[in-house]
Amino acid sequence: MGSIVDLLQSMADGLLFGATYSLIGIGFTLVFGVMHKINMAYAAASIAGAYAGLVLLQLAGLPPWLVIPVSCLAGALFGLVIYVTCFLLIPLSAPLATLMSTVGMLLLIDEIVVHLTAGMPVNYPTLVRGMVSMGEFLLRGDLMVVFLVAVLSMAVLMYLLYRTRLGLATRAVSQQPVAAQLCGMSLGQVNALTFAITGALGGVAGALIGSAVGMLSPLLTAPLTVKGLIVTVIGGLGSIPGAIIAGLLVGAAENVFQFLRGVTERDIYVMLLLFVFLVFRPGGILGQDPARN
Amino acid sequence: MFTARATALTAAIGLAMLANTGTADAQERQVKISGFGAMSGVVRSFGINSKAALEAAADQINKAGGVTLGDGTKGKIVIDFLDDRCNAEEGISVLRRIASGDALVAVGPTCSNVAEPLFGVLQKKVGDAGDTGLQFPVFTDVAIKIGLAKISEWAFRNVPNETEMYTTLFKWLKATKPDLKSIYGGVEENFAHSRATWYAVMKEVAAKEGFEVKGESKWLLEDTNFSNQAREAKKAEADIIAIAAHPFSTCGMLKEMARQGVKPKLLIGLTSSSSMETMQGCAGEAEAIIIPTSFAPVNDQARAAADAVTKFKGSLDLHSGAAWENVFILKKIIEDEKVMAKADTLKADREKIRAGLAKLTATDGLLGKSTRTPDREAVKPYLFVHAKSGKWEVLHTPAVN
Repeated sequence: MGSIVDLLQSMADGLLFGATYSLIGIGFTLVFGVMHKINMAYAAASIAGAYAGLVLLQLAGLPPWLVIPVSCLAGALFGLVIYVTCFLLIPLSAPLATLMSTVGMLLLIDEIVVHLTAGMPVNYPTLVRGMVSMGEFLLRGDLMVVFLVAVLSMAVLMYLLYRTRLGLATRAVSQQPVAAQLCGMSLGQVNALTFAITGALGGVAGALIGSAVGMLSPLLTAPLTVKGLIVTVIGGLGSIPGAIIAGLLVGAAENVFQFLRGVTERDIYVMLLLFVFLVFRPGGILGQDPARN
Repeated sequence: MFTARATALTAAIGLAMLANTGTADAQERQVKISGFGAMSGVVRSFGINSKAALEAAADQINKAGGVTLGDGTKGKIVIDFLDDRCNAEEGISVLRRIASGDALVAVGPTCSNVAEPLFGVLQKKVGDAGDTGLQFPVFTDVAIKIGLAKISEWAFRNVPNETEMYTTLFKWLKATKPDLKSIYGGVEENFAHSRATWYAVMKEVAAKEGFEVKGESKWLLEDTNFSNQAREAKKAEADIIAIAAHPFSTCGMLKEMARQGVKPKLLIGLTSSSSMETMQGCAGEAEAIIIPTSFAPVNDQARAAADAVTKFKGSLDLHSGAAWENVFILKKIIEDEKVMAKADTLKADREKIRAGLAKLTATDGLLGKSTRTPDREAVKPYLFVHAKSGKWEVLHTPAVN
């Protein structure tokens, strides 16, 4: 009985922690949905946004809750920088060019953070304290907030995409870029706005992840990038609700695999999960299955 | 007139050439020590501190007149420092580069996962004509995983002996806190030093001293979620929780333990975590954690060294403290072995330094005398520190050495 309770608790912990993967997955999937490109620097820029927010907060002596809006602004700025350096100045027709430029940007951002902090972890303020207890179960309050933010982000992004002129333009550019341009829409402007919006979301994600982990460190970037990509593929490339579901699924699966098989085997099973999706449902949970040869 | 002018010009050029030769000669009498270690990546702080300690120690020696060479002239110590990114392949390549230059000896690396394969490319046994391994002395300051110097007779280390440190710690706990009966471990599975320290040192030693070992939880260096591990630790209900991990994951685990209300009677940490990184990451959660260390600014010499290193933009801890000591040990060897530091004596000088290091039976250090073991390791003086209000304070100084 005890082990079943532990297993369920482990699943619940992972599910909630998966909300952080969801937030990163949303950013990956949104850029892919609009430009059909992967921004590998997204998680690094999100963590950099959180660092920037924390530094500005400490310098200005602002209250801790302001770290989220400040990180959000910093994230938007980083998003625009990534768009200009890795997409606007790179020929989009070369499929590997933007992928490699964003990989380069990932390494650059990471190394800048390492140089500025000497690689040392930095304590991050806890934005939400407390545990919610449900019988034998304990649920982390801060991770529940992360989950709510992920759902809220999805709602806001869905509204933006389907209820505003910006969303209309974004979808038009995504589906028929030439036709959209002929109708007077600026490709560059729409793409830049998409990067600013996903960057802002990344800043919020970085701040919430920093708060959930309790620290910021360059060590966060690589695992978040890998998990973000897995979530994007499992959720379905371009599907925002898919990214949320996949984030929670990957988080829960990871913790359960760790509980059952140990930490050294955990990631093998997560990769197997990805493999299973790629073979049996290549379009992901909510994406469209690409035509098979 | 023309002839006189030409003669004067020739004389001037000749004098200039002579002066130049003099400068070149003076430059040749530089004693080059190459440091290497992680200067990028997440363990960059190790490299920064080692480099600063090497430079500060060399600066102090040079200001005091330098090193007396074999022919009685004075040489200046020159330090350069190369980045191996805490990567084994890069570490080996960096060492080959150092050995192909004019350095007499190398101090490094910072990571045990680099030291182990790197010592493997050195000649195993001195004078073995059949072994084409690198013949270059390496005097390690940071990489601390136990028992590595025995890999090659060109490898020497001045790192603390963790087995001795933790043995003394557990003996001391047994004597002073008899209510502590059991221990549970937390180990960073993918980091060579952390793994070796838990399985081969802490766990073994604790059991030998009569503590009941209730198992261990495992995680990876870059993990961010410690909910399973903290719950396992809670269920174990051990009196002591020993965390063999580096600051990032040590702090992650401590924060999760605080969330889940895991309150052991005592926390023990890994030697490498007795640094400012832990205090920056989780001073509150790490309060009262006990860690054995081979450096703390507890005497005038150690305080002066710490101040000198700060001026070179680093901080002195158990790792960089060894880098500082290494420069002074090497100065003595260079003088005792009559090293010439000339281009044509490079090979012989390196052999002299190796021989000098091999002969050592004791060395002077910042906390007192260290003894040397036959397998080229150090037994350094140490003390126990604990985290108190965001600072490391000395808790106990065992009577050793």
